[in-house]
Amino acid sequence: MSSAVLVADRLARRFGDVQAVRDVSVTVHAGEVVGLLGPNGAGKTTTLRMLAGILTPDQGSVRVCGIDVHAQPLDAKRRLGFLSGDTHLYQRLTPVEVLTYFGTLYGVDQRRIAERIDTLVAELEMGSFKDRPCSTLSSGQKQRANIARAFLHHPDLLILDEPTTALDVISGQFVVEAIRRKRAEGKAVLFSTHIMSEAEYLCDRIALVHAGHVIDQGTLPDLLARSGQKNLTDAFLHHAAS
Amino acid sequence: MSLRPRIIATIWRKEISETLRDRRTLFITLVLPVLLYPLLIIGFTRLAESESQAALAKPSTIAVWGVVPEALQHELSSRSHLSVRPWLGAPPEVRTGLEQRTLSAPSTTPVQRRNERPRDPDVPPEVEEAPTEASAAAREVVGARRAEVVLVLWGDGGNISIYFDSVREESQLAAARTSRVLQAYSRQLAREPFAVAVRDVAPPSRQAGRIIGTMLPFLLLTLCIVGGLYPAIDLTAGEKERGTMQTLMCAPVLPGEIIGGKFLAVWTMSLASALANIVSLATTITRTLPIDGTAIPLSTYALTALVLLPVTLLTSALFLALAVFAKDYKEGQSFLTPVYMALAMPAAVTMLPTIQLNAWTTFVPVVNIALLIKALLVGEARTELVFLVLAASAMYAALALALAVRVFQREQVLLGGSESMRDLFALGGGMRVPSPSLALVMYAVALVASFYGALALESRGFLVSLLVMQYGFFLLPTLGVARVMRMDLRETFSLHTPRIVPLFAAALLGLSAWTFASGIILRVAPPPDTLVRALEKLLRFSDEGAPLWVVWLAVGLTPAICEEALFRGFILSGLRRLGAVPAIGISALLFGIAHASIYRLLPTFFLGVILGIVVWRTRSLVCAIVLHALNNALLASLTESPLLARTLGLHPGADALPWAPTIYGSVLAAAALEILLLSSGGGTFLVRKRTDQGAGPAPNQAVTG
Repeated sequence: MSSAVLVADRLARRFGDVQAVRDVSVTVHAGEVVGLLGPNGAGKTTTLRMLAGILTPDQGSVRVCGIDVHAQPLDAKRRLGFLSGDTHLYQRLTPVEVLTYFGTLYGVDQRRIAERIDTLVAELEMGSFKDRPCSTLSSGQKQRANIARAFLHHPDLLILDEPTTALDVISGQFVVEAIRRKRAEGKAVLFSTHIMSEAEYLCDRIALVHAGHVIDQGTLPDLLARSGQKNLTDAFLHHAAS
Repeated sequence: MSLRPRIIATIWRKEISETLRDRRTLFITLVLPVLLYPLLIIGFTRLAESESQAALAKPSTIAVWGVVPEALQHELSSRSHLSVRPWLGAPPEVRTGLEQRTLSAPSTTPVQRRNERPRDPDVPPEVEEAPTEASAAAREVVGARRAEVVLVLWGDGGNISIYFDSVREESQLAAARTSRVLQAYSRQLAREPFAVAVRDVAPPSRQAGRIIGTMLPFLLLTLCIVGGLYPAIDLTAGEKERGTMQTLMCAPVLPGEIIGGKFLAVWTMSLASALANIVSLATTITRTLPIDGTAIPLSTYALTALVLLPVTLLTSALFLALAVFAKDYKEGQSFLTPVYMALAMPAAVTMLPTIQLNAWTTFVPVVNIALLIKALLVGEARTELVFLVLAASAMYAALALALAVRVFQREQVLLGGSESMRDLFALGGGMRVPSPSLALVMYAVALVASFYGALALESRGFLVSLLVMQYGFFLLPTLGVARVMRMDLRETFSLHTPRIVPLFAAALLGLSAWTFASGIILRVAPPPDTLVRALEKLLRFSDEGAPLWVVWLAVGLTPAICEEALFRGFILSGLRRLGAVPAIGISALLFGIAHASIYRLLPTFFLGVILGIVVWRTRSLVCAIVLHALNNALLASLTESPLLARTLGLHPGADALPWAPTIYGSVLAAAALEILLLSSGGGTFLVRKRTDQGAGPAPNQAVTG
């Protein structure tokens, strides 16, 4: 197995009286897709925000390419691309303007940004809407532009929070294929979902999250074997009940 | 981690271009003011015109008391706009007196009023008369609005009085109409029984000009504040609602860079709005309203734009800090509307003629700027107060900005989660030394409290006022806060035991540094004579002739202990993490501003820099106290004792220190500083050397310069 790109160790975070996440440890290697699977409110989003360095954990540590995300947030963030249901685009800007803006924030020089935008527009089939204000785009088009934003700076690690939620079947499939391509390029991908079939299809390893902590993790056959169930949904329900 | 200007500029550019594409914000910020002033001013003019026309169309009721000659009777009844009511409201005795021609006109004197409103030239000059039964009755008739005017033809045959109410438009008009009738009548008589100046009714534009003049500061301020309001909501709560705040937080940018870019964008919009307001106002006034005699010079508009800088700074930062707590645009509006009202409404006091910029209103946020604009427009702004208003406003703006930075460092707030305000403002323990924002808050509280304290204690005499201010407003609160927050007192107040050589050098500086301030700085920027006399008088305890040791204790030691605890203790240690030059520079500037006079700013800033360097290098407040006490005591002694001054070769009453003592003193001070630097861990006056305390040599250059 190649080297670990993401190492999260014993993360915990509390909001007021609610312990949102406790004792979560995850590792993702280069060329690997790891799924964080759990129902709504399981603590997936909070975990991913801590991994992406936009929320500070009460306990535990996160390292991206060996860099401590909370001690050196700028260096770590340059190596990761984050996409979630809450990361939207600027409504009054066009996809090209959004990408140029983020390219500048990531420290990419202007000429490289232009080249990179051309590549991404072709790869993600954005030619027809790249110069229209984001407010006029469909959900699928917005998500493509958003993926382009997350891929823009060639991150080693992609953290994707329910990237296919609210998309139709075709757009959802487009996103799933984009993730597969990134794995083929040797990128590390961590993504959360509550859609079991998506996890089964995409993930090399799966972490089942329930009530703020990881109840089991491993490859799909491992999880099924340990739970004695035939599919992932039953395996999850089995773990959650026990 | 230091902020990167390039990233801040990138964020600023994006925010501006996005804001400029938002029609709602654009309309309120830039289009509204451009439309509003012409509409408002033309509207007022029209309104005034139609009011006047309505008044002109209505006949004036005139009560006529006295025996009316036939020719005058004919004149009066021939005018359709006059409704003549003989003897209306006249008491029987007055009527009898006038009918029998025994009641003659009371003696009169012309009225001299301050702040007189522009007078209708058709109305004869107002006179004050000895109160009589007739005049009292006439006043009552006009006051009760039974008639617009009472015309009294006195029994002596030659005198006629017109009683009218100058505040009532229709009464003024009636008086003018009556005057014209009398004018026509006197021409028939071929003699002048009374002098009446006849001119047309004043143009309504003048009245509109008066209204606009009163409303102007309030209008300008409220519109400029609104200019930053909507961008602030849009860039914070709006972004949260649209889900773009988290997108920005994924990028490798610091919270300080996000707030920096956003703040600059909001400020830019607020400034653009201020500029649009002023340009529109100036154009409207000069193009559509040729106000006679009250034309406002262009430089006034430029100055007004300038004083709007700090107030837009304050409101932009405050709006940004508060709007970020809102989850969406709507909530942002409901958060900020009361804040906006609270900020803008007090500025309405400028519409009251009696409220002016003075020592009391100088420190009231926003209101002080409104009053300053008013004073500028009337041409009454005093330099000292302008300085204080700008300093106070800059201070409030810095506080608001510190609050905004603090809020933006809360990731939970930015992510849309709730975080109680109590958490945000929790002072709590665990702070070894004050933070820069706490130092700033402490300064603001001490400054405002001592300023108003001094005003309140003015009548108690200099000594009481000085002691209460120094111990009550500087020392005790500072010690109290440090103690309550369980700070490390030794670190916060630099309570390290001084070594003997640096202490000696500090004492030498205390005896010599003033020569540079008095000989060079005061020569370049001399204070006005009145201030010098006032300061001398203060130092002499208002001619009370206190013994010298009392002067030393009160003017020397007391400020040395109290001011040093605040400025070189609490504030300097709070700013320490910013580095030597900013920490010493800012603390010295705050020290200078606290002396509440633009003329004392430079000398006190200079002293503040020296004191800052001393504490930075020696880590001993005692050294600063010794320096400060000797400096003050020596200056007080020189004022107190002309003999001492002559002994030192000084000429009492001279504008600046003569060159010889200036040069000797400055050389001595430079040598003392050199000794102090050499004896407190290296890095000398001339040789750059990094020290373990992170104190670069740069502040030294400020002194050598």
